[in-house]
Amino acid sequence: MTASLFLEMVINGLISGSIYALVGSGIALVYGTTRVLNFAHGELLMIAGYLVLFFAVTLGWNVILASVVTLALVGGIGAAIQRVTIAPLLAREDWAFRVIAATIGLSILLQSGAQIVWGEQFRTLPYFFDGVVSLGGLRMPVQRLSILVIALALMGLCALVLYRTGLGRIVRATAQDAEAALAVGIPAGLVHTSVFAISAVLAGAGAILLSPILTVNPWMGVSFLLKGFAVVILGGLGSFGGAVAAGFLLGLIEAASVTVLPTEWRDVVAFTFLIAVIWVRPNGLFAGREA
Amino acid sequence: MLRLEGIDVHYGATQVLWSVDMHVAQGEIVAIMGPNGSGKSTVLKAAMGLKAPSGGRVRLDGREMQSAPATERPRHGMAIVLERRRLFPRMSVHENIVLGAYARPARETRGSLDWVLGLLPDLRDHLDATAGKLSGGQQQMVAIARGLMARPRVLLMDEPFLGLSPAMVRTVSAIMRTINDEGVAILFNEQNAKLSFALSHRGYLLESGRVILSGSGQEMLDHPEVKRVYLGVREEAVR
Repeated sequence: MTASLFLEMVINGLISGSIYALVGSGIALVYGTTRVLNFAHGELLMIAGYLVLFFAVTLGWNVILASVVTLALVGGIGAAIQRVTIAPLLAREDWAFRVIAATIGLSILLQSGAQIVWGEQFRTLPYFFDGVVSLGGLRMPVQRLSILVIALALMGLCALVLYRTGLGRIVRATAQDAEAALAVGIPAGLVHTSVFAISAVLAGAGAILLSPILTVNPWMGVSFLLKGFAVVILGGLGSFGGAVAAGFLLGLIEAASVTVLPTEWRDVVAFTFLIAVIWVRPNGLFAGREA
Repeated sequence: MLRLEGIDVHYGATQVLWSVDMHVAQGEIVAIMGPNGSGKSTVLKAAMGLKAPSGGRVRLDGREMQSAPATERPRHGMAIVLERRRLFPRMSVHENIVLGAYARPARETRGSLDWVLGLLPDLRDHLDATAGKLSGGQQQMVAIARGLMARPRVLLMDEPFLGLSPAMVRTVSAIMRTINDEGVAILFNEQNAKLSFALSHRGYLLESGRVILSGSGQEMLDHPEVKRVYLGVREEAVR
């Protein structure tokens, strides 16, 4: 393998990994704080893809404005899903299976709704950034590299909120002991709604970054949900930092796989790695380091 | 001050408290004693709003607390130290303590922290430590400090001596008396009759979710049933 091929593999792995990390860290944040596995998380990504297309292409807005409005709307949708679909179920003692069933149902509903509203055609956003960067003999479109840079910036911002703000402190307290948090007066409902909103924004950011290089379609969330769950399991259930690290690791493994094997082996390699990790470390690679 | 009237609590279809009446007056230390599974912790959780009663009323200074969720009760002057400390284990001692003041105005936090660290000066050396890595006794201090940060008028303490060494039990007992001297009423539960009633002004004996006995600490210690069942004094000796 030449140096430039190796560099390309690593950069591609980091780019894919950054999307997996965005999606997985959102799922991990929600699970770590509320113990809810949101099976409709992928559809938040899909909705964000369609919203940014609508604002940037149909309405012709500036892409930054379109992205900001999309993230705000998707955050609101995430919060509304928590309030309307999940919060009423959490009040019941036997909520765990009901929440899984409800979020699977919501996922199907949102996919079908997207088909009705936007149709079945696959659509793509134009590149936000023109130009190509040369890295050690490798030429990489700025658009692709921007995915990595923006995703890292967003996850850094999210970590800053979690570890350096009052909101982050009450989120971490609720994640570590929900009843003790309630006892000191922390409103668990507000915390749960906030983490759903943050998680939706992370998924939405993933969709916006992906829309110029992949297609937006009603089913795009499904594969990212599966990869997101894989990342959460690899990272240690509920660990935000673990999910970020696992996202990049999964991206690098996939990139290595497509470098040496046919592309169709990519998911086989990724999920075989996941199963192998579960055998050796059932609690994931970074268990016990959750928020 | 704090009054529980006819409290019933169910877990699913199972009733665990049956018309429990209790009260704590200003300046009192009151013990709830009873065996495992008698409902002691549930009484405290029902008082704090962490477990909704299926019947009865909780009043604080005559005010109905039924409509106040658990998150509101610290604002009304109640705080709880949960069983087994229940700290936020991966946060620092300082973060744990300060979160106790969450329900209070932010401008009070500094003054409350000074007051709490004045009562529990040993914690000053551990403020940056990770709470989950402290010893059981130190964790109990942090849990008490966190509860006091709400500046409660009544502090509920769920098994405050659980898992502590005899020396640490004496230390925590002394701290409870000091807190009480500061004007904070305390309602705590404990399985050890001698410890419970020696420390408290009054006490209740709870069995199978029902209050079967109440009185002053000394009356409880002198009661033949308490002596026989909980202090292990033989019947002829009791007579």
